[in-house]
Amino acid sequence: MNEFYTNINNALSMLSGLENDLNIRHFTPNELKVFYTIITRSAFNEHGSNISEIVENSGMSRSTVYKTLKKLSDEDIIYLTQSQDDGRESLITLKSRT
Amino acid sequence: MKNFATVSLTAFLFSSSLWIIWSFFVVQIEGSPNWLGSYFYLPHAARVLCVVYFGWKAIPGLFLAELWGPDFNVFEPYTLTHLIPSLMSVLSVPLALSTLSLFGFPLGSTQASPLNSTNYKHIALITLISATYNSLLINLTLTRLSLSSMEIGIDQIGRFFVGDILGTAIVVIALTITLKPIIRAKTP
Repeated sequence: MNEFYTNINNALSMLSGLENDLNIRHFTPNELKVFYTIITRSAFNEHGSNISEIVENSGMSRSTVYKTLKKLSDEDIIYLTQSQDDGRESLITLKSRT
Repeated sequence: MKNFATVSLTAFLFSSSLWIIWSFFVVQIEGSPNWLGSYFYLPHAARVLCVVYFGWKAIPGLFLAELWGPDFNVFEPYTLTHLIPSLMSVLSVPLALSTLSLFGFPLGSTQASPLNSTNYKHIALITLISATYNSLLINLTLTRLSLSSMEIGIDQIGRFFVGDILGTAIVVIALTITLKPIIRAKTP
């Protein structure tokens, strides 16, 4: 029976590789809201938006926005860089895909 | 023995499910030419995936599904010659694996394996070769045994070839999407 599970595991590994390369991913509603807010804000500020702007425009709590931004950053969808004007603020920019 | 029974049952159920789904779509496009379904022949995915991951143990289950699939009745009074095309289809995948092994690419499941079952690009290669064998062998058998009611030309061979590849691609992508929660849970 172990052999059977090993074979299934190999098949899932193959599908996992395909999923990574196809970049099949679904956003959660919170991620979608934050993502669209970042896109909308990027139209006004090409250097990136700060977190306060995202909180204000998304209508979500600061902690939820922080958590979502961390997740999007971990998945290489956005950059978080420190603002030069205010060291306490982080600027959010979309990562371009080539 | 327990593993053989599990593999046989899995192969039979997987292949049969694909037969049912494929038949459903073929019925849906009945108004179109009736050969349109062979452009996305889903059951070939079961042959490729089951033989690659379960080995020879999957062959009996797949063969039974091949017999059951077309009419959903395994007890049809088949003559022995009618069993040959189904057997050829199932054996196209082991034949592809043997060919690759002959050229120094034996199947394995590690990164070091020349032919790695966990790499989808290698599965694509196996699909391509098995589709070539399947389209050629099936049509050759149908011609030699005079089992086909219509004339077999290069267009039919090409259709079988494209259908096997497209069918497998559709099933693999559909599995990737539907099994995403399991795949995500498995990978850290």
